[in-house]
Amino acid sequence: MTADEIRGHIDPIRDQFAEGRSLILPALKFAQTEKGYLDGADLEAVGEAVGLTTAYVESVATFYDRLYLQPTGRRVISVCINLSCMLRGCDELLSHLTGRLGLPSDGGSTDDGAFTVQQAQCLGYCDRAPCLQVDVGETQGPMSLDDADALIEALRAAPTPDRLWR
Amino acid sequence: MPQRHIVYLHREHPGDMAQLPEYVKAGGYNGLMKALADMEPDDVLYQLHRSGVRGRGGAGFPMGRKASFLPKDSPRPAYVVCNADESEPGTFKDREIMEFNPFQLLEGIVLAGYAIGSNHGYIYIRGEYEHQARVLDRAIAQAYEGGYLGSGLLRSRFDFDITLYRGAGAYICGEETGLLDSLEGKRGQPRLKPPFPAVAGLYASPTLINNVETLTTVPVIVAKGADWYATLGTEKSTGTKVFSVSGHVMKPGNYEIVMGDTSLRELLYDICGGFRPGHDFKACWIGGSSVPVLTAEHVDTRLDYESCETAGTYLGSAGCIVMDDSGCIVRSSLRLAHFYRHESCGKCTPCREGTMWMEKVLQRIVDGEGRMEDLELLESIMGRISGRVLCALADGAVAPIESALRLFRDDFVHAVEHGSPAREPMAPMGA
Amino acid sequence: MSDYAPVNLSAPDQIEFELNRRRLAAPAGTMLVDAAYAHGVEVPVFCYEPRLGGPIGACRMCLVHVEGMRGLQTACSTQVQPDMVVRSDTDEVRDAHDGVLELLLANHPLDCPVCDKGGECPLQDRTFKFGPGKTQFVEHKRHFPKPLDLSSLIALDRERCITCFRCVRFSQEVAEDGHLIMRERGGDSEIATFTGDHYTGRFTGNVIDLCPVGALTSVPYRFVARPWDIKNTPSVCGHCPVGCNLELTEHEGHVARVTGRPNPNYSVEEGWLCDKARFAYPEDRAPDRVRQPLIRDAAATREVAIEEAVEAAALLLGRDGPHAFLLGPGATVEEGFLAQELASGPCRGALVAQLGLGDAPALAGLRAAPAAQLDDIDRADLVVLVGGDPANQQPVVELRIRKAVRGGGRLVSAGPRRHPLSGLGPSYITPPGRLLDGVRAAGPAFRAARRPLVLWDEADLAHEPAAAAELAGLLGATRGARQLELGADVNGAGLSALGIPGAADLVAALEQGTITTLLTIHAQPAESAGAARWAEALGRVGAVVALASHGGGIADSAAVVLPAATHREQEGVYVSMAKRAQRLRPGAAPPGGAAPGWELLIALAHRLGAAPAYRSPAATFAAAAAARPALAGLSYDVIGELGALLHAAPPATTNGAVGGGGADGTGLPLVTTLRIFGDAAAHRSDALSGVRQGAEVVLGAGEAERRGLAGAAQVRLQSPHGACTLPLRVDPRCPDGAVHATLGVPGAGVERLLAVDRSPVRVEVTAA
Ligand SMILES: Cc1cc2nc3c(=O)[nH]c(=O)nc-3n(C[C@H](O)[C@H](O)[C@H](O)COP(=O)(O)O)c2cc1C
Ligand code: SF4
Ligand code: FES
Repeated sequence: MTADEIRGHIDPIRDQFAEGRSLILPALKFAQTEKGYLDGADLEAVGEAVGLTTAYVESVATFYDRLYLQPTGRRVISVCINLSCMLRGCDELLSHLTGRLGLPSDGGSTDDGAFTVQQAQCLGYCDRAPCLQVDVGETQGPMSLDDADALIEALRAAPTPDRLWR
Repeated sequence: MPQRHIVYLHREHPGDMAQLPEYVKAGGYNGLMKALADMEPDDVLYQLHRSGVRGRGGAGFPMGRKASFLPKDSPRPAYVVCNADESEPGTFKDREIMEFNPFQLLEGIVLAGYAIGSNHGYIYIRGEYEHQARVLDRAIAQAYEGGYLGSGLLRSRFDFDITLYRGAGAYICGEETGLLDSLEGKRGQPRLKPPFPAVAGLYASPTLINNVETLTTVPVIVAKGADWYATLGTEKSTGTKVFSVSGHVMKPGNYEIVMGDTSLRELLYDICGGFRPGHDFKACWIGGSSVPVLTAEHVDTRLDYESCETAGTYLGSAGCIVMDDSGCIVRSSLRLAHFYRHESCGKCTPCREGTMWMEKVLQRIVDGEGRMEDLELLESIMGRISGRVLCALADGAVAPIESALRLFRDDFVHAVEHGSPAREPMAPMGA
Repeated sequence: MSDYAPVNLSAPDQIEFELNRRRLAAPAGTMLVDAAYAHGVEVPVFCYEPRLGGPIGACRMCLVHVEGMRGLQTACSTQVQPDMVVRSDTDEVRDAHDGVLELLLANHPLDCPVCDKGGECPLQDRTFKFGPGKTQFVEHKRHFPKPLDLSSLIALDRERCITCFRCVRFSQEVAEDGHLIMRERGGDSEIATFTGDHYTGRFTGNVIDLCPVGALTSVPYRFVARPWDIKNTPSVCGHCPVGCNLELTEHEGHVARVTGRPNPNYSVEEGWLCDKARFAYPEDRAPDRVRQPLIRDAAATREVAIEEAVEAAALLLGRDGPHAFLLGPGATVEEGFLAQELASGPCRGALVAQLGLGDAPALAGLRAAPAAQLDDIDRADLVVLVGGDPANQQPVVELRIRKAVRGGGRLVSAGPRRHPLSGLGPSYITPPGRLLDGVRAAGPAFRAARRPLVLWDEADLAHEPAAAAELAGLLGATRGARQLELGADVNGAGLSALGIPGAADLVAALEQGTITTLLTIHAQPAESAGAARWAEALGRVGAVVALASHGGGIADSAAVVLPAATHREQEGVYVSMAKRAQRLRPGAAPPGGAAPGWELLIALAHRLGAAPAYRSPAATFAAAAAARPALAGLSYDVIGELGALLHAAPPATTNGAVGGGGADGTGLPLVTTLRIFGDAAAHRSDALSGVRQGAEVVLGAGEAERRGLAGAAQVRLQSPHGACTLPLRVDPRCPDGAVHATLGVPGAGVERLLAVDRSPVRVEVTAA
């Protein structure tokens, strides 16, 4: 994404912050909507738009789990593996999903670029454990293995990602 | 069952409280109107003090006291920051408040701002809650439109703006100073204190930072009066508290109960429907995962701050994770160790290195490669972490595991000798 | 590095407290770690480094027990309080120290035997003193890909990193280059640059000194020596007039490393060094180093014994005069004084001059205003920077200015060029000759300030008398205002203190062909301002004796070459631009037949039959101090470790640059610039080969357009004094109305465009 596009996104909210540096997360997230991850050029553009060195942008971006510096699949499935979900079988859910997509048991991306399955920490839907989140959409649960199969089918049929953090 | 709906007002009203007209119809914004019409900022502050309401984010610090720490003569603008990072394992109360009762939160933030002389509030919401963030976006827009936010709100001379800021996935950004650094566009690493946020918080300005639930309580306190509020609950734990219950109970969910009126037993068996047939209570982490574990011995503990401390744990965020006798305490401990290792910001040596080491040792034990001396080793590592770090993350990492090792020693010895089961089965239970 | 801040135990308002059952005192605001250290108690630290800003409390190494406080406290972030009772020797505290070390070592490779830091490693030392009674770690250690070069100067071994944040804080918050970062989180945290870019900057080497383990090490010093094979000598930098204090490491007879002083001079460099100071030392062993005495005649050039060379020089100087002695800007006070002594003794009547600016009359008013030291910059609420480019010319000053601005001070700058500090505050770019406008623009800010400090550039103001007078007036009219000169010449102030004038008369005498023998002392006239005129004039001198450390220029044609020690190899005194006399100490002996300049000059005097009574640099300096009022009261002892200020003004000389006339010539006014890695030292040092900078001509976009030069790769510059051809860069941010060209780059020849006194010129710019 270009610095100008990013500026277009953050300029309207610039005056809500006493220091321009605060715009780095909104800028990074917006830049990520394009490809689903951030490459070096995106980090550079964010730095230019916010007025920071690219290195600084990278140091901030790598601090957060939901900013990706490696390519991801079109749809990113985050399976919660924290305690409440573990007690309700998320390990089985995760290995079912990864097995079905032919991925390593702890997650990864499919060769066709359709899916990334990753482990997530507590998603705050423990009452619906085991739960998972697709992209930035609402977390779903409780997920049975059948639900998981159905989800994959539904996502294949609707490959447009929901990446936009507003 | 003594359940009351104060922060969960929406459950008593038929309408969609995430729509401004419905909220107003249900008596919303009475507190703010009352404050702007009849109360000086100090009166509001006094009501907060008098209500005895304590922070619901985990530490339980009295809100009124914290608000009174803000210097009155600072040349810098003061800020209200709402901590909506809700990442404590087992905690999901703020999620429901924001999704179904957003205006009461917004009203609470404005009132807090009025009390401390601030004109700008920030809600820092975890990035995973994009769905809730969109609800809040809408609510904020409606509030501006309706004159409940902005300059001269409700035709008073008080101005107040709210900015919603989305996190991007880091538990440590729930720690208040980590949150502030993240909001300032830095890596969200906790700051050395003092100075406390009240003195030098966001952009080095005086800052009041409170949890979603805490702030959502404020309109009710102001509208109905601190004295009324303080009649609920116990002397040191006034009001109601939302418990997020998860794990092996039949009816997981959020339950708002009057503090001290209910016991853990009542919560688990009466409110949450008890356990699957053939299984019974084994352990629970009552205040989110960062607290010492409770055993069956403690099941009659009353649900308030003091009683939890007497039982050897903390009420924390009241994210109550429950395990029945089918669960494995050693695997559970490993899962938590993994979480804290993953979330340590890396600033403090003991936290960064210690959580990594704990996970490695526990992993070996679970894999059946443990040695008896590993139990002492774990204790030694934890002794080198506790109380020797900047923020409470590392203490939170030690508390559940240290207590588990102490209270369920036999299970650990067994695991050293035989390893642990590979995985929990999917556990189909009541919804 | 000393990790602790200096504590003034004799300041008023001491607070009494108790440490390990001893009643002690320290000034209010002192951190416990520093107070303890000042009283001989070491509370170990890793992340604490007071020069990086406030404490961050990350490593948790410094935990102590404070009575009445819950848990242990980080002594790096706790200030002494009246009657505070502190213990750093309880079992609990010992266990905490031991515990943090055990955790730090858990993932630290135990490769001390092959680590460059081994033997000088704080982690090693503290493990020994406070360290783990046992290590219980049996897991696999954290693994990072093996060491990599962060740049041509710095190597990074991530496995050794203990995540103390010092290096990244230096990059982000001191040098403010923003390029060195911590990436990832928790146990995965690692030091990095953006996608493996080189860590570049003017100050990068400081992170080597800061790193408390062997994670960041010097590439040029890699595997060179072990700590027991080296000797460290405190000295002073000889690359610019700031006079940073540093330490020279000798190994196998030569200087093999330069580091910051373990005990920084807080009034000068505060322990920081620029990369030139740190990495220029290989120039001492450059291929063009003069290692043997030479005698040259029409037939041949012969290497001779030193006695023979001195004899030959004495023969030339023993002839009838007049003779002339020309000192380069890097000559020491002792060398200058010995030249003067020759001129008043055996070579009576010889002209003595310095290649530097000398004492420009326009600057007298400014110099008379209350003077500041570098640490005063920190405390200024307004820094007015007039002319110059400290980041490239007096580099460490940049760090002080950044510190002042971080601390809330304002920076206003005015001058003919844009430079790395221009962006820190309002900046008025004025064409050459119009600096007065810039000074006037800065005036209002000046009057509003309470502790304003003016940093003014000697070279730029020498030819701007109106601006200098205005500035002197502002200084005089503002209570509390002070000034600090940004000097042009390394030891210009020292040579001026001796009363040595600029070279205007000397060059004129050479041109008239009346000089019999010219003795140059560390001087390269044909590579200095007025190079064209110098070259011409040198052709008319009877004979040249060159006392020089490196070949090229005059040493390639002189009849006699006396091989001299460099500033890293000899004793002597330099006077900094802040008028601080400081001692050079030899880090190593000069190579081959080379000898210190003072020794060669005394030998020469001896040969000329006028042996001075003194035979050492200390005695030479003592004689100079007795004879020259500006040096009164100074001696090597008085100067000591941290230097001493000159109290009296130098005598007025008349031969310095006289400004005020319009610029010579036609075309565009010439603005000269210097680049930190563009000078001869940087070009000679193989360590700096990766960062060295060349010369260029820079034009603003409008100017280039107007002159039809937008597409030109090379341009020719022609002034009334000479010409040169250089690559052109068109920079849209470069102000129009002038042409900028890089001075000081060997072989580039921009010096040819200038007059000997560096007075302003105009140049015609044409495509080449
Ligand atoms: C590691 C860590 C994570 C935390 N996460 C949260 C959180 O997600 N939400 C929250 O409200 N408080 C969290 N806290 C507590 C905050 O630091 C702080 O105490 C709280 O926001 C204050 O608000 P309160 O007084 O209303 O509870 C966390 C603390 C720690 C140490
Ligand atoms: S590289 Fe050295 S200075 Fe930098 S964080 Fe690691 S240990 Fe500290
Ligand atoms: S200091 Fe980093 S987790 Fe507490």
